[in-house]
Amino acid sequence: MTKQTDTQGAWLSAEEAGFLTAGPGRAAEAVLARLIDQGLLRVSRDGLVSAVHQDGEGATTSVEARMLSFARNPVQFDAIVLATRNCTEVAQLYRQLLSRELMRVPHRRHDGRWFSLAVAGVAVVLGFVSPVFLVAAAIALGFFVWQNGSGPITQAGREALSQVQASDRVHVVALYGFDGRFRGKDVGELFDFPRRVVRTVPRRPARARRRSIWNGGGCGSSSSCGSSGCAGSSSSCGGGSGCGGGGGGD
Amino acid sequence: MAGIKDLGVGIGWRSEIDLTVERLPGVDFVEVVAENLHIGHLPESVTLLLERGVPVLPHAVSLSLGGADEVDLHRVEHLGAVAEAVGAPMVSDHVCFVRAGGLDSGHLMPVPRTKDALDVLVANVKLAQRNLPVPLALENVAALLEWPDGELSEGQFLAELVERTDCWLLVDVANLYANARNIGTDPERFLDEIPLERLAYVHVAGGEQHGDIYHDTHAHAVLPEVLDVLDELCSRVAPPGVLLERDDNYPSDTEIASELAAIRAVVDKHRG
Ligand SMILES: [Fe+2]
Repeated sequence: MTKQTDTQGAWLSAEEAGFLTAGPGRAAEAVLARLIDQGLLRVSRDGLVSAVHQDGEGATTSVEARMLSFARNPVQFDAIVLATRNCTEVAQLYRQLLSRELMRVPHRRHDGRWFSLAVAGVAVVLGFVSPVFLVAAAIALGFFVWQNGSGPITQAGREALSQVQASDRVHVVALYGFDGRFRGKDVGELFDFPRRVVRTVPRRPARARRRSIWNGGGCGSSSSCGSSGCAGSSSSCGGGSGCGGGGGGD
Repeated sequence: MAGIKDLGVGIGWRSEIDLTVERLPGVDFVEVVAENLHIGHLPESVTLLLERGVPVLPHAVSLSLGGADEVDLHRVEHLGAVAEAVGAPMVSDHVCFVRAGGLDSGHLMPVPRTKDALDVLVANVKLAQRNLPVPLALENVAALLEWPDGELSEGQFLAELVERTDCWLLVDVANLYANARNIGTDPERFLDEIPLERLAYVHVAGGEQHGDIYHDTHAHAVLPEVLDVLDELCSRVAPPGVLLERDDNYPSDTEIASELAAIRAVVDKHRG
């Protein structure tokens, strides 16, 4: 698989870039894009995806091999994204990103953030009694912001991701999703599918490049944060519980 | 017959490879399985091909014209309706039976090559022709057995069928090859005996040898030996069209394109 690197040598494949950008569903989309791009998967007008070879020929990663095995019999476009998103190989991909310190487990840092907020609230009330408590409130609030602001992507992960270019249609999918837009066009158009095929992939709210759901601004401060529970908890990833929260298009 | 001349090289349209068929370079015409289409709900892909001016020929698999049972005119009418829906210049089915005694075999069964069986076939073909809006072509099938007491060779049988019904012939060179392998018939003799001026077009398909039997699977690559039979046919007549049939285990677009190119190379070799 074509990899792109950052200046510090963190190599990212399209599936890794997809995962860092928008989670396991996007990683699955990137894998799907590459297998279609290489002629290893065929898509029909009614959205059925089927493997061209029955023996998994052409797979370069374990996730690709898994997706090809899913497509031995024709399977709907959205279903193969969902199945792959939840597979153990994608969970393994996540663990690899953790071990390369491109991601971190965010839950530990998030633990107790509501306690910090509660402390801040109480301190504000007590601030009417003594201004000293206002200082405590500021500290507690700052701690809450710090906890919330840190997503599962590390600085190294963000730097690696920032180096990934939408240099081909596979990387465009990794960065924007099949149902996204790139340079004023629907990404699906790059594959000449009928629009309804890629529309089957559940859509997440559009977000700016680099402000992925994983980074601090996107995830920690919004209600979509629940979806970060996937990448933040390895136990939920690959366990079939639905990584990525809202759907395969994440 | 207007419109059937120079079809070129085509491929069987199947929903699983609809986008592939649309994108492949050098697809001059397609064939659709008539029983899979619903009038009024043509697949988007077929409509798109029609808009591009690609001829779409309906091919039936269920008329059972070689059977002793009466022809099911609803099936004939459906075939005719598909032909009209896609503006086809002709339709086709096989020289076979698929039903007998109310049971459906699920296979294209060869007809006994006797005068009596030919009389039945001729009567059924004439009935079908009367109920079709366009000419009918009939295809030779692959057989794993020969009925006993055959009075005619396959070529003689088809020649007489054409003579008596004025039907057209759809020659499947893969079936000729399969029969040569499995029951020892001679493709060259077949080509000598049939009226080649009534050739509508040609089928080419892949298959696989299993033990002593060659299976005309339509799910494997086209063997060079099948192209040799096509070559033999093309040395005698320029076929109006040659169509690749692939029904399962679809290979990559590249492989399909190269099979079409190989077919075209054989055809072009004789056009010089
Ligand atoms: Fe055929």
